[in-house]
Amino acid sequence: MSGKVKIMERKGKDLYERLYLVEIVKGMAVTFGHFISNFLDNSKLYVRHYPEQKPEITSRWRGRHRLTTHEDGSVKCVACFMCQTNCPAKCIMIEAGERVDGRTEKMPVRFDIDLLECIYCGYCVEACPMEAIRMDTGIFAVTGSDRQSFVMKLDALLATPGAFSEEEYKKGGA
Amino acid sequence: MAEKVKLFVNGQEVEVEAGKNLIDAFGAIGIEIPHLCYHPALGADGNCRMCLVGIEDGRPPFVPACKTKVAEGMKVQLDTEKIMKIQRDIMELELINHPIDCPICDQAGECKLQDFYMGYDGKPSRMTVKQVLKAKKVEFGCGVVHDQERCVLCARCVRFTRLITKTGELGIVNRTDNARVNIFPGRPLNNRYALNVVDLCPVGAMTSRDFRFKQRAWFLAKSPSICQGCSKGCNIFIDHNREKYKDEVIYRYRPRLNDKVNGYFMCDEGRMTYKLENDDRLTTAQVNGREAGLSVAVEAVRRAISEAKKTVVLVSPNASLEQMFAIQQFAASINASLSGYSDGYIKAEDGDDFLIQDDKSANRAAFTLLNIDDSKVGFDAALNDADLLISFQNDLGRSLAEDQLASILAKVKLITISNALTSCATKAAVAVPAASYSEDSGSLINCDGRLQRYEIALVKNQPLKSLIEVTNLIGGEIANNQEARAGLQAAVAVLKDIDLEQIPAEGIALTESEVAHVAA
Repeated sequence: MSGKVKIMERKGKDLYERLYLVEIVKGMAVTFGHFISNFLDNSKLYVRHYPEQKPEITSRWRGRHRLTTHEDGSVKCVACFMCQTNCPAKCIMIEAGERVDGRTEKMPVRFDIDLLECIYCGYCVEACPMEAIRMDTGIFAVTGSDRQSFVMKLDALLATPGAFSEEEYKKGGA
Repeated sequence: MAEKVKLFVNGQEVEVEAGKNLIDAFGAIGIEIPHLCYHPALGADGNCRMCLVGIEDGRPPFVPACKTKVAEGMKVQLDTEKIMKIQRDIMELELINHPIDCPICDQAGECKLQDFYMGYDGKPSRMTVKQVLKAKKVEFGCGVVHDQERCVLCARCVRFTRLITKTGELGIVNRTDNARVNIFPGRPLNNRYALNVVDLCPVGAMTSRDFRFKQRAWFLAKSPSICQGCSKGCNIFIDHNREKYKDEVIYRYRPRLNDKVNGYFMCDEGRMTYKLENDDRLTTAQVNGREAGLSVAVEAVRRAISEAKKTVVLVSPNASLEQMFAIQQFAASINASLSGYSDGYIKAEDGDDFLIQDDKSANRAAFTLLNIDDSKVGFDAALNDADLLISFQNDLGRSLAEDQLASILAKVKLITISNALTSCATKAAVAVPAASYSEDSGSLINCDGRLQRYEIALVKNQPLKSLIEVTNLIGGEIANNQEARAGLQAAVAVLKDIDLEQIPAEGIALTESEVAHVAA
């Protein structure tokens, strides 16, 4: 052990400090000072009044997933399984079927995302060749009363709108 | 061993088999020459120009490797700047009108166009004109769906219908941009090997209606096995996958190369037998029509055997050699008469001279080897004054009409050990489930006397006991395949010199070794 050693002066040796009570009263004065001033006027507090006051979320935030649609409302997803293949948490479960709306040939008949298993890494969004899956719903808190309610189905994923305009989303680097 | 020749590839000396073309000879030692139209079973066509190579001995500067035979001292160039440019240009040509719909293409992951693009091209498209649009999703019949946009016009499928099935339903019509593979109007594919064009197609232009969109190729585990659809014993790959929260499911069979049995092909009917492995399986034991635990069922079988005055044991022609031997030993130990009666497995006049056989069972040849009688007369004689019939995976409902089966069941008590929920299994007093061939291993003898071996291809979430294990539980001596093989070698003269544990991949011709044995 070589190197500079700095010996600190030990505090708390004098009589006042060894009595404790004086120091405790001094400390409580600070605490109660803050308490009373905040109690009378809380506008200067550094705390957000969640959930009444929602945080502002940037367009790059990876929130709950959604499936996008073409302008005519048909699902963009072509069930290529790229997201399922890339998913490190293996939380996406797709079943493909013959397409019925006239576009290309293939579409998902089942598209489940288990949000309890999802780690919100965003790899599915990166892997998607159709920009069909996005995490731009701005939903960051998902609640439910049982496990099944956390499995997002095709309909629910399609029904959720995006929280940002196309322009803002692209600005986020997508 | 085949004759060898020495030649030079990119200046390096290699030794390859003589008499082959450059693609096959180099492929065998791990040097790939990219090719689309050449297929060993269909011969060289030379239309794709992807396999052009240089040879330094006064020939034309470039020759197609598929049409060039190897020769002693030949100096082959595979990676000069010019050859790589040709490969890039051919790839660019193929991709001009290719839709690049890999996300929805079933071939993605096992597509030659994808592989060659990554290996030999890798350049972005320079095309600025609109692509030529062609027909997609064209039904060609026999469960083949064709996509004309994805097609690279290698003509493998056309040559298959002309050279192999000799039915010639397919042709290439029009020229240049408008060239496309098509059927003749109103004349769809109509042969029993049609689905082979799906395997032959190097790209995703031919897809199977049955497999379409079921799975992506990279999810599938590919286990080698043997098809039990008929007595030919075609070598196959069982492609299966266990999806999350689900059980192992088989999605398709594909032919596996065995020059001595099926070559590169298999029939459509055999291909579809994978469904029998997935559906209508007997998974829980049943006693008097009620579900029961395995131990309860086994106890019921043991009691029935000890109470019976005369027992008949019925063995299936689909059972492996090991299973048959174990059942034969078991039958002998309880003084039961053994029959292999299974006329219903033979479909007369159904076979052809290529792969399909009349006999729809996998291992009937083993009956003669083990002296198991499969005649109706023998079965009827055995049943006479018998009061217990134990059927090992033999579905009597296939061989006998409803009323005949009913009249037999009125006289005897039926116990079935079965993999499938057959009519025989539902009528049985006791039904014990057993593993099927995709979950088991064993040896088979095909119609040409070739001994082949198959291994366990997949393990279900709740594995069933194998037929030998069930036989062992109800009182058989033999507990596993190893014991059965040792017993077989001791009991059957033909198998004496064959190591049943190590059967080569292409199998052993029993007739040949028999001849060799006699001659020695």
